[in-house]
Amino acid sequence: MDTSSVKIILQILHYLFFGYTFAAILSYIILSFISSKETIEYIKKRSFVNYKDILSSTMSPSITIIAPAYNESLNIVENVRSLLSNHYVNYNVVIVNDGSKDDSLERLIQAYDLEKVPYIVNEKITTKPLREGIFKSKNPAFEKLMVVDKENGGKADALNMGLNISTSKYVACIDVDCLLLEDALQKMIKPFLEVTDSKVIAAGGVIRIANSCEIRGGKLIDINLPKNLLVQSQILEYLRAFLLGRMAWSRLNGLLVISGAFGIFDKETAIAVGGYDTNTVGEDMEIIVRMRRYMEEKGEKYKVSYIPDPLCWTEAPDTYKVFISQRNRWTRGTIETLRKHRKIGFNPKYGWFGMVSYPYWLIFERLAPIFEAIGLVYFIMLIALQEVRWDFALSFFLLAYLFSVVFSIIALYSEELTFHQYKKKGTGFKLVLLSALEPFLLHPFVLYAAIRGNYDYYFNKKKKWGNMVRKGLGSN
Amino acid sequence: MIKKKIVLAEDNSTLSLLLKFRLEKEGYELFVATDGKEAVDLIENENPDLVLSDIMMPFVSGLEVISHLRNKLNLETPIIVFSSAGQEEMVLKAFNLGANDFMGKPFSPNELVIRIKRLLAK
Amino acid sequence: MVDYQYIYDYYFNTPHLIKWVWWVSTILAISILVLAVYLKFIRLSLRKKSNETIKFKSEYEALLIEYLYSGDETGKLTKPQELIVNRIKDSIKTPFKRKLIVSVLFNLMNEVSGEMSDSIKMFYYKTGLIHFAFQRLRSKKWNIIAKGIGELRRFGIDEASHAIAPFINHPKSEVRSETHLYMVNLFLFEGLSFLDNLKVPLSEWIQIQLLETLQKFDNQEICDIRPWLKSENNSVVIFALKLAQIYNQFEVKETLMELLSHENKEIRIEVIDVLAHLYGIEAKEMLKTNFNTLSLEEQISFFKLLEKLVVPDDEPFVEAYLFHKNFEIQLLALKILKEINLDKYMGFTNTSNDKKSLAMVKAVKVL
Repeated sequence: MDTSSVKIILQILHYLFFGYTFAAILSYIILSFISSKETIEYIKKRSFVNYKDILSSTMSPSITIIAPAYNESLNIVENVRSLLSNHYVNYNVVIVNDGSKDDSLERLIQAYDLEKVPYIVNEKITTKPLREGIFKSKNPAFEKLMVVDKENGGKADALNMGLNISTSKYVACIDVDCLLLEDALQKMIKPFLEVTDSKVIAAGGVIRIANSCEIRGGKLIDINLPKNLLVQSQILEYLRAFLLGRMAWSRLNGLLVISGAFGIFDKETAIAVGGYDTNTVGEDMEIIVRMRRYMEEKGEKYKVSYIPDPLCWTEAPDTYKVFISQRNRWTRGTIETLRKHRKIGFNPKYGWFGMVSYPYWLIFERLAPIFEAIGLVYFIMLIALQEVRWDFALSFFLLAYLFSVVFSIIALYSEELTFHQYKKKGTGFKLVLLSALEPFLLHPFVLYAAIRGNYDYYFNKKKKWGNMVRKGLGSN
Repeated sequence: MIKKKIVLAEDNSTLSLLLKFRLEKEGYELFVATDGKEAVDLIENENPDLVLSDIMMPFVSGLEVISHLRNKLNLETPIIVFSSAGQEEMVLKAFNLGANDFMGKPFSPNELVIRIKRLLAK
Repeated sequence: MVDYQYIYDYYFNTPHLIKWVWWVSTILAISILVLAVYLKFIRLSLRKKSNETIKFKSEYEALLIEYLYSGDETGKLTKPQELIVNRIKDSIKTPFKRKLIVSVLFNLMNEVSGEMSDSIKMFYYKTGLIHFAFQRLRSKKWNIIAKGIGELRRFGIDEASHAIAPFINHPKSEVRSETHLYMVNLFLFEGLSFLDNLKVPLSEWIQIQLLETLQKFDNQEICDIRPWLKSENNSVVIFALKLAQIYNQFEVKETLMELLSHENKEIRIEVIDVLAHLYGIEAKEMLKTNFNTLSLEEQISFFKLLEKLVVPDDEPFVEAYLFHKNFEIQLLALKILKEINLDKYMGFTNTSNDKKSLAMVKAVKVL
C-alpha cells in the first residue's frame, strides 16, 4: 500500500472519528432538551396530584414486591422491615432466599414469627425447586410478608420464582438492600393507571446513591454527599444519565433498560415472554428488550415509563476494583442483549424501537468504548510517528472535556430545580468541582472496564458462564 | 391529682399540635411521637395511661406498636387507633392485635375526647 | 506584545475547523463559570426558602390552632379570631406564604371533621384565600387552573360550581379530571352525569379517585347505573361495573347478564366477577352451558364465581375439570370438589396416576 492511499484512509478515519464525536454530542444536546421538557411536564402534573387518595384505596391494583436475597443475613431483617412499611395498601412482599448459605432464613423466621405453610407454586416459568419451602408470619402485623426458600439459581431465577408465586397484577422487582421510600409504589403505579389508549408494560425509577446517607431502621434520615470521590463521581454520572438521558428516552418511548434495582412490570406480559433469562448477566435490560419486542410483534400500542422522583436508594461500589467489576458486567450484559435481539436492529418492522432505540444503543452505548479505544490507539500511534499537531490535539481534547463538564453542570442544575436532594452547605461547590474532576476520576475506568468487558465476553468463556450464581451485594 | 399520661403517635405535625392543645386543655399530659419507633420508646419510658396512634406511619407502623405493647410488653394500656377511610382491613387487624377503639379520619376531636374519657374511666 | 502577535498569527493560520473548536471551547468555558455561579445562587435561595418554610409553618400552625380554639358557639368571629384573620390577610399577599398557609389548612382538613372543619372553612373564607383560588381559575396555564379547581374542591366551596363547570370540556385531561372530581365531591352521584356523554376514555387513575370520593359520603342514594352499563364508551361500562359491585346493585343483574356477551373481553371478565359478588345464580347456569365458548380468562373467573355459588348439583360439571391442563382452573376445581363432596375428593388422592395432579390434590388437601 502506498503512502497516499494510507493517507486517504487515515483522513477517512479522521472524519469518521470526528463525525462520530459530533453526532454523539449532538445527540446528548437533543436528549437534554427533550429530558428537560419531559421533567418540567412531570413536575407540573405532580404538583397537584393527591397521591394519598390512591394510597389508601382498596381499589388500587395489587402489587407484589419481589426481592431476591443471597447471603444477606447481616441486614436482611432491617431491609424486610423497610419493605413492609410502605404506605401503599394493596401490596405484598415476597422475599426469595436464593439458596443462601448463611442464616438469613433463620433470622427472618425469628424476627417475623414465621411458620412454614403448605403452598402449590404455579410453575408458569421453570425455576430451580424450593428448598426449605414457603413461610408466612403468624403475626397479623406482618401479613404482607412471604419468604420463599429455594435452591440457588441466580437473581433471574429467583425473580422468576417470585413471578410464579405472585397473584397480583403488577410486580415490583427490587434488590433487597435497596431502600424504597414510603410513597414509591403509589408514584410508580401511576403511569400504569393513567394510560387509556396504550398499555404500560414496565416502569422504572431513578436510583439514588445511598452511600454516607444516614439510614436508620430502614428509613432515610439524612442525605449526605459521601467523601469518597469515586462514589461522588458516580452520583454525578447517575444524575447525568437519569435526568438528561432516561427522561428523554421515556418520552420518545425508546427506553431500553430499567434498573435492576427497582422496576415495576405488568406481570402478565412478563410471564408471557417467559420471565427473566437466567443465561445472561444483564437480565434487567434483556427482559425489557424482550417485552418490547413481544409487544411490537403483537402490534399493540405500549409504553415503558420512567419516573424521575427519587424513590429508591442503594449503595454504589466504593472501591475501583468493585466498580470495574460492576461496569464489566454491565458491558457484557449490554453486548449479550443486543446480540440476542439483533434481529430488531434497523428493522422497520419494529418501528421506532428498531430504527432509533436499538441503533442508538448499539452505536453510542455499546460501540462507544470501542471507538474511543481505537481513537486512543491511533493517537498513540501518531505520537510514536511524531505526526501529532499538538495544538490540534489539545484543542479537541479541551473541547471534549468542556462538553463533559457542561453536561454535568446542567445535570446539577436540573437536579437543583427539580428534586434538590443535596441540601447541605458546601455541597454545591463540591459537586461543581467534581464536574471538573469526574472525567479523570471516572471515565478512564469506565472505558477500561468496558474494553475488559468486551474482551471477557468474546474470549473469556469461564467468566461468561461463571457469573450465574449471584454473589452477596458486597462484590457487586 | 396526678395527670393522666397519653402518648400520641402521629406524623402529621398540624394534627398532632391540634390534638396536643386540646387534650392538654382537658388536663392530660401529652407525649408526641412522629413515628412508631419513637412511640414505642416513649411508651417504654413514660408508661402512659392511654395510647393514641395513627396506623399509617413511617418505619414502624401503628399495628406494630399495638403488637409490641400487647405481646412484648404485655401491657393492658388502652389503645385508640386512627386510620384513613378505606382501610377496613387494617382496622380489623388492629382489633385482632388488641386495640380497644378506632376512629376513622376525618374524625371529630370532640368525639375523641369522649372516647378517651370513657376508656380511662374503666 | 510579542505574545499577542504570536497568537494573532497562529489564529489566522489555523484551519477553520480548529478556529471553530477554540471558539466553542471559549464559549463553553465562560458558560461553565456562569452556570457554576448561578448554581450557587440557586442553592442559596433554596436553602433560605426551606428555612423560612419551617419557621413560618410552625408559626402558622400555632396561629391556626389558636384560632380554632378561641371560637364560640355563635358562629361569628370572636375578637381574638378577628385579630388572627387580619394578620393572615396580610401574609397571604405573598404567594410563598399563601401556599404554606393553604397546605397547613389542608393538613388539618383531611384529618378532622365536624365543627373543626367548619371552622377551618370559615377561616378560608374570611382571610380571603378563596379569592386567590378563584383567580387561579382565570389563569392561562392548565396546571394552575387544575390546582385552583383542586383547592376549591378540598375546601368544599360550592359557589365555585358555575365557574368550574365550563372546564368539563377543557382540552387537557388533567383539568377535566379535576372538574369531574369537583362535581362528584359536590353533587355526589349527580356529579357523575358527565358519564352520559363522555366520548373520551376514563383512565383507571381517575376512576379510583372518583370511587374514593363517593365512598367518603355515607347514606346516599345511588342513581340508576343502567344507562352507563349500556354506554358505548367501554371505560364508562367498567366504571359502572365497579359501582355495581361496591354498591351491591342487585337490581342490575339482568343488564349484567346481557353484558356477558359484550364484545370487549375485559368487560366480560369483570362482569363475571361482579355477578359472583351479587350472587348471580342465573348467570351461573348460563355460563355453565356456554363454558367451552369462553376465553381462558373468562373460564378462570367463572370458576371463581363457582367457588362462591356452588351447589351439590354442580358436582358433575366440576368433576370434568379436575385435571384440566390450566393450573388455576384445576386448583379451583379441586378446591370446589373438596367443599361439596369430601369423600369423593379423598378418593382421588389415592387413585390419580398423573404425578403433577396427584401433587396438587395432596396440596389442596392441606389448604
